[in-house]
Amino acid sequence: MIFIKKHIPLFICFFVGVLTLGSYYVPNATSENYIEMMNKWENIVAGFAFLLGLMSLFYSHFHKISRKAPGWGYSLFVYVGFLLVVIPAIVSNGQPMKGPDMTSLGWIYRFVFTSLSGTMFAVLAFYIVSTAYRAFRIKSPQAFVLFAAAFMVILGRVPLGQMMWDGVLGWTGYQVTDVIEWLMSVPVVAGRRGIMIGIAIGGIVTALKIIFGIERQYMGKD
Amino acid sequence: MKNALEKFLKIDRRLIFLALTVLLFAPIVRPLGLPNKNLGKDVVNTYNYIEALPERSFVMLSLDYDPATRPELHPQAVALVKHALRRNLRVGIFTLNAGATGMIEDIAARIPKDIAPDKVYGRDYVIMPFQPNPVAVMTQLGINLYEIYDKDRNGNPTRDMEVMKGVKSVKDMGLGICITGTAMLDYYVAYVADKYKFPMAGGVTAVSQPGYGPYLQTGQLKGLIGGMKGAADYETLINDLEKGTSGIDALSLAHVLVIVLILTSNIIMLVLKYL
Amino acid sequence: MEFLGNTWNAFAAIFTVTPGWMTFGGWVAAGLTICLFSFLYKDNPFFKVAEHLYLGAGMGWLFQVYLFQTWKPKVFLPLMEGQYSVLIPALLGLSLVTQFFPRISWVSRYGFTFIMGYGSGLVIPLTISTDFLKQIGGTIAPFMVSEINSGNIISLLNGTFVAFGFICVLFYFFFSVEHKGAVKKASNIGIYFLMLYFGAAFGNTVMGRFSLLYGRFDDLYKYSAPEYFYATHVVLGLLVAYFILDKLVLSRRGGGQEAH
Repeated sequence: MIFIKKHIPLFICFFVGVLTLGSYYVPNATSENYIEMMNKWENIVAGFAFLLGLMSLFYSHFHKISRKAPGWGYSLFVYVGFLLVVIPAIVSNGQPMKGPDMTSLGWIYRFVFTSLSGTMFAVLAFYIVSTAYRAFRIKSPQAFVLFAAAFMVILGRVPLGQMMWDGVLGWTGYQVTDVIEWLMSVPVVAGRRGIMIGIAIGGIVTALKIIFGIERQYMGKD
Repeated sequence: MKNALEKFLKIDRRLIFLALTVLLFAPIVRPLGLPNKNLGKDVVNTYNYIEALPERSFVMLSLDYDPATRPELHPQAVALVKHALRRNLRVGIFTLNAGATGMIEDIAARIPKDIAPDKVYGRDYVIMPFQPNPVAVMTQLGINLYEIYDKDRNGNPTRDMEVMKGVKSVKDMGLGICITGTAMLDYYVAYVADKYKFPMAGGVTAVSQPGYGPYLQTGQLKGLIGGMKGAADYETLINDLEKGTSGIDALSLAHVLVIVLILTSNIIMLVLKYL
Repeated sequence: MEFLGNTWNAFAAIFTVTPGWMTFGGWVAAGLTICLFSFLYKDNPFFKVAEHLYLGAGMGWLFQVYLFQTWKPKVFLPLMEGQYSVLIPALLGLSLVTQFFPRISWVSRYGFTFIMGYGSGLVIPLTISTDFLKQIGGTIAPFMVSEINSGNIISLLNGTFVAFGFICVLFYFFFSVEHKGAVKKASNIGIYFLMLYFGAAFGNTVMGRFSLLYGRFDDLYKYSAPEYFYATHVVLGLLVAYFILDKLVLSRRGGGQEAH
């Protein structure tokens, strides 16, 4: 049984991994056909991976409702929200627009989904401001450098900041955008590139470990 | 004095929230009307690249953003579609983000109305359906896109469309632009731009913009539009001011508020230290 | 059959979007937006309802996109046309769902190993080329003979600065040798480059988050217009009234704690 439960899946990982890796370095008709087929398959497999998230959400809220855990009533709204989108989608055959007219799905998207999703992320703006006031402390030279870079960017991105710069430092002949451009294309590139290479090395090593079955936490427990 | 300053430092954060609300809402009701000058170099590069493309070149626009980043990225997408269609380029709108489809419909509805009324669907532009698994799709885009995009978003076969004439893979396209609030552009650089030597540019949120410096320096990206400022810059370039420009105008006071708050709290800290 | 068809048509007719629905949409959007923002004052039931609706609606949106743009055209329709090869990826995909049934959860490994093998095989060569070799190439490019011969001093200086900073940052991340002496100095300089990067990123984050907030405020302003019957004003007023009432009731009971 361990052969079916463990060895074959590990072999699939190794086999698919090595062939996919090899197809990059061996560009011929066979390898191209192989990667084309894999791309099509992956496209479909990924389409089902979404079910994992869906079931996990439904399960956890179902659990909350059935146990009558504190705040279980709110969990009902998860299902309400789901049906609020899915029923119009089925009625509209998945089309937000029908010619020039908006369908019920399009209506839900514009007025419900966009409002909810947009606001959820917009709320962070408030926390950034209060954190800037309460926690941004310039206590060391490093923190000062961080502040200086942030200051230039926050100021220079908006017209009012540009006008303020021109009023005070316009005589230098440099615009605030010149400073930001230099910041973004020189020191930021250096810092970011260092991080990028670190991540790249980590990524390559992890990928190799997965192909060779050394890293197999994603498979769950035996 | 010391007590008062300490109290001020621990001010109820809801007052700060209120200040931000007022300073951001007021310019929406009554715009400041400040000019957006000082265009970003990478935005101008994107514009120039599109300007230099021969007529009827195919531009792939991968719109991979969802409502969460709509205010920043949607104006970029609208400006790019306007520019490309008005330059008589062919435009293919793709998406690898399931949340983007509604906003693409918004663009689709606007093209015949005010973006480019003379352009015809199927001849000048096409809209492809959402596809999951970006990496698989991108790899396929470089080989034969019809294996995945055999139908458009309405289920019509794409192969025979006039807009797709002579286009089998990204190798037959003039430029690709990915607009995204996620790491999709990174994938495009690796799996499409580098692998197939395909010129790509990007439109990203302000949050992720600094991360693309290395790709711009190496030329892996031909240009980059970053956040609302990028959208405003692009609108200025195509001389068609819209949401990006009014947006960046409205942000002015709020930006100054952040600087004032950081400086105030630090000055108070200094005073408290030496008081 | 005809009855079913008629019933469905009558049902579908309810979902026709009329101008009245568009106005009502403004109320819904303003209501949901303000309910979510109300958390900034303090936690409350309206926020919780909107938050849970968001979870459900988000999943619902993804579900319908996958249904109409993947499962139907890529699996169901090809199967109807007799292309049975799509069964292999479909079954591999469905195998993932067995995760939720402990006794057969091992079946999901077939799907996972396929995804991981493919992903890993693809990521290695591309990362080596895009994020490794090309970046090293980009760092040394300004020092190529052709570049130096072009006599662009500024570009050479900037290139030197990038290369210097990049090496210092690498030293900062390099843990295989002890950070002392020259290595420590280099790694300390590396920190300054990282700080410049984080500072610029913070500055841009401020703009990004404000832009998103601007988007919501802009919508609220739109829905405050007379054609939406002042939806924003009314919803905001109602919520304020709720908070005042809530406070009065709480103070009468002599208890209750604020969230902040």
